[in-house]
Amino acid sequence: MWINVWAVIRREYLQRVRSRWFIAATVGGPLIMAAMLILPQYFAVRSGSADRHLAVVDGTGVLYERVAPELTSGGWTVTEQRWHSDVVTELRERAEIGEIGGFVMLDELTLESGEAILYASSSPSPVRQLTLRSAIARAALEYQLEQTGVDVEAMLDGGGLRVELLSGEGSDPDDAQFFVAYAGAFFLYMVLLLYAVSVMRATLEEKTSRVVEVIISAMKPWHLMLGKIIGVGAVGLTQMAVWFGAAMLLFVSVLPMLIAARPELADLGELREVLPGAGLAGLFVGLFVFGYFMYSGLYAAVGAMCNTDEEAQQAQFPLIMLLVVPILMVMNVIQEPMTPLATGLSLFPLFTPILMWGRVAGGGVPAWQIVLSFVLMAVATVAIAWVAGRIYKVGILMSGKRPTLPELWRWIREG
Amino acid sequence: MSDSGFAVRLQGVTKRFGKHTAVEDFDLDIPRGVICGLLGPNGSGKTTSIRMIMGILNPDEGVVSLFDSDPDTTRRTRVGYLPEERGVYKKMKCLELVTFLAEIRGIRRAEGRKRGLAWLERLGLPEWADKRVEDLSKGMQQKIQFIGTVIHEPDLLILDEPFSGLDPINQDVLEGIVRDFHSKGTTILFSTHLMDQAERLCERVCLISRARKVLDADLKALKAAERKGVVAVEFEGPDTWLHGPEIERVEGRNGSLRLLLRDGADHQAILRRAVQARATILRFDLVEPRLHEIFVRHAGAGAVGDSGMPRHATWGGA
Repeated sequence: MWINVWAVIRREYLQRVRSRWFIAATVGGPLIMAAMLILPQYFAVRSGSADRHLAVVDGTGVLYERVAPELTSGGWTVTEQRWHSDVVTELRERAEIGEIGGFVMLDELTLESGEAILYASSSPSPVRQLTLRSAIARAALEYQLEQTGVDVEAMLDGGGLRVELLSGEGSDPDDAQFFVAYAGAFFLYMVLLLYAVSVMRATLEEKTSRVVEVIISAMKPWHLMLGKIIGVGAVGLTQMAVWFGAAMLLFVSVLPMLIAARPELADLGELREVLPGAGLAGLFVGLFVFGYFMYSGLYAAVGAMCNTDEEAQQAQFPLIMLLVVPILMVMNVIQEPMTPLATGLSLFPLFTPILMWGRVAGGGVPAWQIVLSFVLMAVATVAIAWVAGRIYKVGILMSGKRPTLPELWRWIREG
Repeated sequence: MSDSGFAVRLQGVTKRFGKHTAVEDFDLDIPRGVICGLLGPNGSGKTTSIRMIMGILNPDEGVVSLFDSDPDTTRRTRVGYLPEERGVYKKMKCLELVTFLAEIRGIRRAEGRKRGLAWLERLGLPEWADKRVEDLSKGMQQKIQFIGTVIHEPDLLILDEPFSGLDPINQDVLEGIVRDFHSKGTTILFSTHLMDQAERLCERVCLISRARKVLDADLKALKAAERKGVVAVEFEGPDTWLHGPEIERVEGRNGSLRLLLRDGADHQAILRRAVQARATILRFDLVEPRLHEIFVRHAGAGAVGDSGMPRHATWGGA
């Protein structure tokens, strides 16, 4: 008799996947994401091509060769201009007809204090001014230090600190790793809530539209609940697969093409660092699936025991807390993944999806803990399905006021 | 369980909601292949009884059995149910919806689709197959839901107020389909407050009032037994003779009346009194009672509502 469960899964899946909302969110999500990553860079670089053309008048004879590469990688086109008495007049004319964006004068003073003069048709953005300033100051400093025999490259790169950890690793807020751990945890929180609430709303809608009376006359309530949860979950996985595929496409093929076509966008290549590997991606899906089964079961029970959206909003409050608590703690857990508190909380099944993700993505977690957490989630899933199934069975056909806790307990016992 | 030949069997079924008793000690036996009408005013317990038969409510006391076997599995495969409060997935397309309703009864999708199309055709909705249910009128939605009720060709149809909300033409269409199922041997139980409909369709009627069964009998036999109870009269002149101990109720107006007599009343006495009162009698017939009149005799006028109810009226809120 699984044909009817399959029918419920199919209906739930197709109805959702074909909806405009799903298509908009699934296609629009990655587009917005890509736009947010790429457009600012693009616009920053693009603002007027003539503006980016600088002439450099080097009165010192030693600075140009040091400044030019810095400026080029900063998005400028530079040409050297020999010093002569009318150079300012000549360059001013070239700037006025739009041939160059402006010109920089470097002289002996620049070598001593890093000061230079920029003549420009329009005032460059503060960021550009900063780039220019630091390139010139750096070039001057480099030259001066070289005269005294210092390894300028290493010093100017900020020296180096090799960290040898004595205990378990953590992740600092600057790392790409930290970003992956935190963003991933937050994303898990969002999708778990989104799809679990979808199950609740679907249940509630079936109940208030009275469709459920017909459905229940044809199949066991437990089968209906199962079909619903699987159907909505499949929608979630589909959406994530599309998003993940789009991200891969962006990083693996679109970005390199973009960078090849416009070398000045090279900074975007660093984004690739935040891409999780196959292992992490697998863990993410596993955590989502188990987390989803646990929370959707609970949310289905809430949907079944309520009659209106308002009631459901109130009744789901404890469940939201269960999701919010780990999100509040995840920052600390990522930074110190091996404390007993972090370990213990991440093994509590309802917290596991978010906290275990934070711990694993942020730093090393022993494999046995990951395995244990999945075993515990599996046990919790079965237990929740059992309890939620009983509440669902009674609640779905019940109208009138929401049950009190003692009544709920009776439903579970007698279900 | 031995084979009793009953499609539906209720034994001492009682349902209470808090202090209110919705159905009390209800026995009902519906033989296989019979159309049975479940009649009674609003709030008398019709829907509660049907929901107990469908397992949506559990009786506080008593037993429900269907086809002498476990009602749970029987319901899922052999019963078609049209609830009183209609519900459909409004966002689905019509054909998808009826196919889905066939699938959850264990019918393969291709077969469900085929049957769904045939039914849409039959009910005059073929061009709506790929339209969303929400775009249909309420009456059309009800037809779609009816298709979902019968698409798996059940052995037992349980219809809660199937005709309400339909115009007379569609009521006739539905009535025809119910008759068709009956001729194929399907057992049908439907609740209604449309007396006409019940009178035309039913072989058996069960009357309930105020949570209790007041009558449960074969309609023909019932009418034959009640034959002495109603006199149709047409007359001119004074009407004082209409007040007498034999007459329980008078219905109708403008000189064409139906007199509902008390049990064992002598209609000749009424006729004699009319002649004495110098009324001109144009017609004085012992007639077959209407279902409505039978119900009034058994349940009492108070259960029905106001007295001068025209023939086509439905029973108002009780």
